[in-house]
Amino acid sequence: MIKLDRVTKYFRTKTGKKYILKDVSMVLPSDKNIGILGRNGTGKSTIMRMLGQIEFPNRGKITSDKSFSWPLGLSGGFVGNMTGRANVKFVCRLYGKSKKEIDEIINYVKDFSELNDYFDMPIKTYSSGMKSRLSFGLSLSFDFDYLLIDETLSVGDANFRKKSKMALMKKIENCHILLVSHDMGTLRDICDVGIVVNNGKIHYFDDINRAIDEYASINK
Amino acid sequence: MISKRSSFKIFLAVQHALFLRELSMRFSSGRMGMFWTFFEPFFQIFIFVLIKIALFGSSENSFDFAVFLALNFTAFNMFKNIVIKSTASFKANKALFLYKQVKPIDTIIARTMVEVFITSIIILIFLFLGFYFNFDIHVKDLSMVSLGFLWLIIFAFAFALVVAVVNAFIDSIGKLLGFLMTGLMFSSAVFYSMNRLPIEVQNWLMYNPVANFMEMIHSYYFESLDDKLVSYNYIFLWTIISLYIGLWLYIKLEKRIISI
Repeated sequence: MIKLDRVTKYFRTKTGKKYILKDVSMVLPSDKNIGILGRNGTGKSTIMRMLGQIEFPNRGKITSDKSFSWPLGLSGGFVGNMTGRANVKFVCRLYGKSKKEIDEIINYVKDFSELNDYFDMPIKTYSSGMKSRLSFGLSLSFDFDYLLIDETLSVGDANFRKKSKMALMKKIENCHILLVSHDMGTLRDICDVGIVVNNGKIHYFDDINRAIDEYASINK
Repeated sequence: MISKRSSFKIFLAVQHALFLRELSMRFSSGRMGMFWTFFEPFFQIFIFVLIKIALFGSSENSFDFAVFLALNFTAFNMFKNIVIKSTASFKANKALFLYKQVKPIDTIIARTMVEVFITSIIILIFLFLGFYFNFDIHVKDLSMVSLGFLWLIIFAFAFALVVAVVNAFIDSIGKLLGFLMTGLMFSSAVFYSMNRLPIEVQNWLMYNPVANFMEMIHSYYFESLDDKLVSYNYIFLWTIISLYIGLWLYIKLEKRIISI
């Protein structure tokens, strides 16, 4: 269960406060995969970052007894002058993994991301597609209650996209997902319910198709 | 399901990860980086011994001037590096705040620990050279010298925290720090002992907390020096007040620092 209690979030801009959420209270069910829809700049990623507890509401509270992954986005969260392997090790250590577990995770990520030689080269030599492959593979090796995914499914070549979607489908048998995406097909396939973010408000729909219809009507 | 870890366990895991990462970054940035880290103190000592011989002729000191310099530069460089490296650490580690268990202050603690670790290695090198070349490295009161170093680490951390938080919002502070450190090096009894200076100058210079630390450390190292100029209350106040201001500012601004 994710509980939003009178949450207000805004950014100060030169023309005044720009509201992402304005006094929003709601409860999201915990056994569903949730899709987040909204136009660019409405604050989908900010909401995801708030759930991942790396961004905080200006007022109100977001509470949950579930564990969330770090937000998987295009930016990666890696250190440029360290190798892919060293970055994977670093994240494993952050989560307190033992030496043996770290070795297993490294093998898995190396295999999954198909980076081959690049796995032992500094991240700054990676393309953004390669970064998100590494980041995605890494996140699959941890057991979170919720994976926070921000558009990353749409990167990589067709082959890798297929593979990561399959891996994700297998993963969500045991965990749930919060997905920001503009790809309606992916949302329909993966998510059960949806929220649409628009003008400082959130609308919750217990059927992803209705959320998609609502989003389509906003876009008109 | 990720099992819930206690916050202390999480802190230790984060420190472990950050420490190893900082260390590998320090030594992977080219061979020269590693070389300078360890060569810098020797270079400083060499220069100042030369200057002293040129100005005053060879020694009439009651202690070995090279050992005196080694001790002071080790302590001063540690202070300087903790402050300078920590100041940039929020921005340098921005990407890591993506992981919610990494708090900005963790990066300062880790950088401080790395500096302490490097300082320990430098001390070991000096001790080895001291034994090997038969310098007089006899210590008057080892426990007080150690206390001086420990206290200096805490003060450096507190001071670094204040500067780092301010620097996160006001850019130019970091640039001023270079000047400040140069000024501190000349006014902190690093390459001279305070009792050699005129009384009026002493009175002024002892307002500098770092000078008090330097006097404390070298007066407990050498038999012929004493700590009568050091005001322990004064450096205690500096430490407590910096720590208080640093933590207060940090707690107020932590959330904003995470999303800079």
